[in-house]
Amino acid sequence: MKRFLGYYRQFEELSPEDVSRDLRRRRDEEKAQSLTETPSLDLASPAWHEPPHAEIVNAATFALRRAVNAYPDPGAEALSAALAARHGVEPAQIVAGHGAGELLRAALQALLAGAGTAGEVAIAWPGWGPLPRLVHEAGGRPVPVPLGRDGAADVDALAAAAGAATRAVALCSPNDPTGGTIDAAALRRLAAALPAGAWILLDAALADFEEPGADLAALTGELERLLVVRSFSKAHAMAGFRAGYAVGPDRSRELLGRLAPPLGVAAPAQAGMTWAVANGERYLPRRRALAASEREHLAAALAGTDLAFPPGTGPLLWLSSAGLEGRELAAELAAKRIFVAPGSAWGDDRHVRVALRGPGATDRLAAALKELGSGPGAPAA
Amino acid sequence: MPRNDPTDTGGLFIGRRPGTAPLRYKADPERAGERRRRTDALLAALVLALEALVCLTLWGPQPVAWLWIGSQVDYHGGSITLALAVTFFGMLGTLMITLGIATRLDRVWRILRRAAGHEQQEGVLPRIFAVTAIVALVLFSVWFLLIEGPAPMMAPR
Repeated sequence: MKRFLGYYRQFEELSPEDVSRDLRRRRDEEKAQSLTETPSLDLASPAWHEPPHAEIVNAATFALRRAVNAYPDPGAEALSAALAARHGVEPAQIVAGHGAGELLRAALQALLAGAGTAGEVAIAWPGWGPLPRLVHEAGGRPVPVPLGRDGAADVDALAAAAGAATRAVALCSPNDPTGGTIDAAALRRLAAALPAGAWILLDAALADFEEPGADLAALTGELERLLVVRSFSKAHAMAGFRAGYAVGPDRSRELLGRLAPPLGVAAPAQAGMTWAVANGERYLPRRRALAASEREHLAAALAGTDLAFPPGTGPLLWLSSAGLEGRELAAELAAKRIFVAPGSAWGDDRHVRVALRGPGATDRLAAALKELGSGPGAPAA
Repeated sequence: MPRNDPTDTGGLFIGRRPGTAPLRYKADPERAGERRRRTDALLAALVLALEALVCLTLWGPQPVAWLWIGSQVDYHGGSITLALAVTFFGMLGTLMITLGIATRLDRVWRILRRAAGHEQQEGVLPRIFAVTAIVALVLFSVWFLLIEGPAPMMAPR
């Protein structure tokens, strides 16, 4: 009988008081544990570590509540007009898409269509990680071209690597993972040196970390084969929206039309991007300044150690140690619950990519790196 | 107190919507086989019927019984006040006892439903209480208006 009743007693729900008591006990345990446990610090993801501006979320929420049963504006006209005004180009030169990566993928597919494996894409390397795979997927052959000493794309080397089979030259500015930047003069020099028919694909996903005057998208009015892709994932902290856009020359509307998502960009993403373009100057300077100050902060903290990274722009830096390989450096940091991206993802054994966050995170990273530098395996000074 | 009404939070739900919390048990129940679950579902239906019967007594048999007891008190004791008091407090007492029994039956019904494999969050007593009241009202109306007639003056024989 006891067993019979016991079977049914197990289906009795806990009372709200029991549930609250259990939740309080778990909270107390977690609190006690958090005092003794070091939280993990993710410095591997290139997405901005803070949430987007609250009004971006509000704009997206408003778009959702307004007419989510309807299709979004396929041409994203309001967004294109705002972006065109920002870059000083025509709205027809703008294509909104599902992030810079998707736009680059579509551009490579369009440029390499029909070229077969004979089509080559020279890539400033190390650059944005998925680029070689995207070239392969588009049926082309990626040709890595080493960066210059300053960690920026070496435009002369890129021009030298471009041959008759080259359909495009892909480079990042600011470069992911080094932070190196190129200027308008270098881009003009590259455009002049490229063979006829070759495009420049400029991945400017981190460009919002540069000072506003350094905008290279405006050059699309001057260079006939320049395509600039921008992202809202980094400085605008909108990685979850998958939002970005491309700016191309006015005379390349056919190519731009092939980059656009066939059914447009989702209404919440359009609304969020439109608000961010119109009001980004409210928060971008602070993030720009934070990224710059944290680079300086870490450089100062690592002065005198065997750890170094090239100067650059943005929150990503390409760190190397004289005594440790990139894989070892990443593993040692992971043991301290600090996670960075090992350079092996870029085919590089010496470096790791670090995505900077705030001062507290930089202090913790610097302390961990100094500890590694003074550890038993450290090289003699 | 946190507000979780989406009209107060710009359309965002903060935390869980009221009434959507999952059932929490002391431990994950070990469920029996399909045959036992079918038996439990049948038992749950029987308990539900019993619960309905118990509630139905509130609207007919119990008042009638207490009116009869009151009449007996009046007849034997000769006090209408005492008869009214006995009827009133007696009915109140059996109402409480009946509700106590119905509440326990409702709990048994919930447990049997869960044992039968349903995510039974709430009991069904308030609905049964309301439905039996409506049924009793309809039955009384039929009896009063059609069978017995409202009153001799209004319904001449």
